[in-house]
Amino acid sequence: MAEKITAYRFDCLEQTLSQLNKEDCAIIAGGTDVMVLHKSRRGVPPKILKSVVFIDHLSELKQVNQNQKDLHIGACCTYSELLEHALIPVALKNAIKSIAAPAIRNRGTLGGNICNASPAGDTLPLLYVYNAKLRLRSVNGERIVAINDFIQGPRRVQRDPNEIVTEIILPSVLEEDAHVVFEKVGNRNADAIAKVGFAGYIRINDARIEDVRFAFGAVGPTMVRSLNIEKKLVGKTLPLADSDIAEIVADFDKIIRPIDDQRSTAVYRKIVALNLLRYFLSLKQYQTK
Amino acid sequence: MIKFTLNGRIVETDAPPTARLLDLIRDEFELIGTKEGCGEGECGACSVFVNNLLQNSCLIPIGAIAGADIQTIEGIMETEQFKLLDESYSNAGGVQCGYCIPGMIMASAALLSNNPHPTEAEIRDGISGNLCRCTGYNMIVDAINLAAKKGDGLWQKK
Amino acid sequence: MSLKDISTSVPKKDHKGKVSGQLPYISDVKVENMVYGVLVRSPIAYGKIKSIQLPTLPEGYEAVGAEHISGPNYVKIIQEDQPIFANEWVNYIGEPILMLVGKDLNTLYRLLDEVKIDFEEHQAVYTLDEAIQQKSATGITMASYEFGESLENISAIEQGAHQIIEEEYDTGYQEHVYLEPQGMLAIYREDEIVVQGSMQCLYYIKNALISALDCGADEVRVVQSPTGGGFGGKEEFPSMMACHVAVAAKAVKKSVMLVFDRSEDMVVTTKRHPAKLNYRTALDKEGNILSMCVDIYLDGGANAGLSQVVLQRALINSAGVYKIPHFHAKGYVLKTNTVPNGAFRGFGAPQSFAGIESHIGHLSKLGNFDPLEYKRKYLVKQGDPTITKGIFRDPILVEDMIEDLLTASQYKTKKAEFQHNNPQNLRYKKGIGTSLFLHGCGFTGSGERDHIKATVKLLKSKDDLVSLKISNSDMGQGIYTTLSKIVAKELDLPYERVLYPDPDTKEVPDSGPTVASRTTMIVGKLLERAAKKLKTQWQSGVEQEAVEHYVHREMIPWDEKTFTGDAYPAYSWGVNIVEVEVDTLTGNVKLEKVYGNYEVGKVIDERIMKGQIDGGLAQGLAYGYLEKMTSKEGRIQQKSISDYGPPTAMDVVSIDSKVFDNPYADGPYGAKGAGELTLIGGAPAVQAAIEDALQTSFQQIPITPEVIIESLWRKEGEGD
Repeated sequence: MAEKITAYRFDCLEQTLSQLNKEDCAIIAGGTDVMVLHKSRRGVPPKILKSVVFIDHLSELKQVNQNQKDLHIGACCTYSELLEHALIPVALKNAIKSIAAPAIRNRGTLGGNICNASPAGDTLPLLYVYNAKLRLRSVNGERIVAINDFIQGPRRVQRDPNEIVTEIILPSVLEEDAHVVFEKVGNRNADAIAKVGFAGYIRINDARIEDVRFAFGAVGPTMVRSLNIEKKLVGKTLPLADSDIAEIVADFDKIIRPIDDQRSTAVYRKIVALNLLRYFLSLKQYQTK
Repeated sequence: MIKFTLNGRIVETDAPPTARLLDLIRDEFELIGTKEGCGEGECGACSVFVNNLLQNSCLIPIGAIAGADIQTIEGIMETEQFKLLDESYSNAGGVQCGYCIPGMIMASAALLSNNPHPTEAEIRDGISGNLCRCTGYNMIVDAINLAAKKGDGLWQKK
Repeated sequence: MSLKDISTSVPKKDHKGKVSGQLPYISDVKVENMVYGVLVRSPIAYGKIKSIQLPTLPEGYEAVGAEHISGPNYVKIIQEDQPIFANEWVNYIGEPILMLVGKDLNTLYRLLDEVKIDFEEHQAVYTLDEAIQQKSATGITMASYEFGESLENISAIEQGAHQIIEEEYDTGYQEHVYLEPQGMLAIYREDEIVVQGSMQCLYYIKNALISALDCGADEVRVVQSPTGGGFGGKEEFPSMMACHVAVAAKAVKKSVMLVFDRSEDMVVTTKRHPAKLNYRTALDKEGNILSMCVDIYLDGGANAGLSQVVLQRALINSAGVYKIPHFHAKGYVLKTNTVPNGAFRGFGAPQSFAGIESHIGHLSKLGNFDPLEYKRKYLVKQGDPTITKGIFRDPILVEDMIEDLLTASQYKTKKAEFQHNNPQNLRYKKGIGTSLFLHGCGFTGSGERDHIKATVKLLKSKDDLVSLKISNSDMGQGIYTTLSKIVAKELDLPYERVLYPDPDTKEVPDSGPTVASRTTMIVGKLLERAAKKLKTQWQSGVEQEAVEHYVHREMIPWDEKTFTGDAYPAYSWGVNIVEVEVDTLTGNVKLEKVYGNYEVGKVIDERIMKGQIDGGLAQGLAYGYLEKMTSKEGRIQQKSISDYGPPTAMDVVSIDSKVFDNPYADGPYGAKGAGELTLIGGAPAVQAAIEDALQTSFQQIPITPEVIIESLWRKEGEGD
């Protein structure tokens, strides 16, 4: 017989936080990852050993709003809700469109994608180059943490058992002068898990690079990003010299260490990651602005 | 005890809150039109509507849908929209083995309700989570196109 | 509805139940006193079972194993090497050892985890390459054939040749991914066991059950449930599941249901044989072919299954659609300690066509010929001998089909345009490729005459409804509709007055399995004859029946030993042209345009034929570049649909196709086989298109992005 399972579904965030303060629970937002991760075989419920708390219905977690040039996205907004929201940047919408298929996008949430902390998480490269921050709340108050500090490894995040990620903050994302590229490389055009993910961000003033950021997905335990490498390009003028491009590619070549698995090979992942970087650095279309 | 609406009827269950909606629909409520093809949200055979949105019932713990409005293929079978899809799938030859079809019909209805005149690319995206191994999809795309053309007015957003 | 032209489409017989989801597939069925079964499987690739320790089973739970089998412990297929339950040796990961049965699945899964088995592990053979190296060791070669021109003659020709080209070509696994996972139910009754489930071959199962249960023919009965896709995956494999549930039902005296989870299905069921094909071709100065030798190695997996028959078809197709002077071929099925491989739409031919089309394409490049023009030089014509010394008797329309497709696809313009534009686009490159192919319809050799001996029956009720009594499964391909049409037209009856109930061996004679593109041509013809007979005897308001038996039309008799004679009574033909765009940064391939011309004798239903074209081609194309399955130390690596990657609606494009009429005398209304043909041309055409885009050669399918990127990377290295 099935073991007894306790589940909570409170009407508001406060009650949810208060329960989490009393008991370590498995948090289920959309459930599209949790249900697969703990999947049993056909015909029976998944094996989740803790009590469960459902949060995807909490209206406090479903708001999207603007604060000056910052964008605040409620952690339990589904992908479909974000696709229809006017404030969501086009690049993020493109990344979301590459996720699974409509039925999953109707259920999966942005907060869930982050907390699942998959090395192949579809939105993560982009959130990294947006310098996304996460607001975590508990009965004791709240704190804000950068996404790259929050995600520590595959399925490992820096969240205390009594905390919930309530929103994702994209600082200054509503300034319009940045050019953002997102590429997901999967084995097919829908319902695919990324073999390589790439996000590139560049802000130019009069042909001079003011800000540039890169993040790579599915080529390491977490997203690969390097502020040191990025810094080298700041102040350079476009088009970049071949030697500059080669140097940046060589730098990433040293820090990208992918693995072989059932989806792809380490060799492929590395070459493609560097190809996409090189291509981004050589692109002409935003250099004439 | 979890309560929700299933095909217009309020129902209750004492199944565990992590039980899959798919199993509940099939085993407890004995509605067989919702099929299991993969159990991981990768094939769409178990597609249902949750508050009018297309979702995979294999990924939904029933605790999450307390109070929600769930519709399965059985719940839409009497609608004009279903009849039109039925006829379009027949005329376009969209049905072979049939195992994906109830889910495909749900995806088609969801797509057309949101977008009564989809482009071919939008149709392909709309059914991209519904795997069909028999048809190569083209005759299903044709069926949805046909239903869009013939269904003028029927699919208007409510 | 009355039928004027047989090809005009009609509503499918099973449409309503399928579109509403109310047609019960096996997993939708519940019967009284039913328990579930789950299989304890081998976790190791090769070894001896030392001991089995079962957990304490709660009341109502039982373990069923080899000791419960009344007959011999093997699944009757061809050879007696596939145990129902392994009782001493295990030969692959996933091999069934025991079945646990009981009411609650959760409890069964828990018990499954608690079964402890001690093994003595032995060194396994994991890969086809290892097996090739050890092919003379005992037990490795499971079947082999050799035929064609003598090697002395070929040697002499090679001595005088301008050059000799050798190529080695590899093809991968292909997984069926029928959308309905395998499922089988044994209903327990005191006087009979009724086995019901998802299947293609009722009498294969029935014969396997008679053997396993050691019982009379009237003590087992097999009923086909609506079958959610087969593609060959439900040809021989369900026989094993049927034995499992039937043995268990007898042992526990309850009805037993066994339904696979998707990942279980992907890991333990049969797949398309991975193959290695070696070509050795002598050319003259102008690039003309003087002689060719082909060696084919199929990875059989751990049991012989149908592999020897798959090898036969692979070999018979090893020269493709070409008349090659001085041709020699040999082939082997080799044993590895991996999941057994088996039937899959095309049955050995897709490997051979991928290989030969690739090789001929590469030869054409050597001589700077356009690949299609080069292929046309060698195209077989009516009256030509086959490589097994049979004859292509019927008219061959391939030249017309090519000409038509060249115009439709603007092949030459496109090719020139791509060559001109590709250098200007640094990221994306376009290419166009062709494939020419055939499919031998029906069983290879004398199978119909010697083994199947099909019988069909038509039963007319008092109210003048006519029912088809045959053992063939509709698994989606539409035979409920097409075969009913043939009978309705012959009897001048409205289509609605012809019925085709789900086959049940208690009701239907053995009209053979639903395989080998034989159903329409062979069974359809028998039905046509039965209908003619019934028509002459027709008496309204009276119950009547008409029975027909297969009659073999003798041609050049097939001799399996010498591998000579007419391998097939007839051939269906096809031409594909495919356009792709390759992303040179990621290696991703996008299909742009797909064209197909086919000749299948006569189309019985246009819409159903289009469904076969589109569906078969989607599988065939994906076999060439998209679907990738690998085994590592005996373990299948891709256990989920998305990791394996069959095409979604966003991966395929609409297909421009046409079917040419060329009625065949021994098929109903002139129809030949169509179901497998449509898959075969996909992979070679997509390979040719990718090669055209990248101006390079590949020696394997699938040509995944990984293969492309590695090849581009190597090329870049050479350029530096």
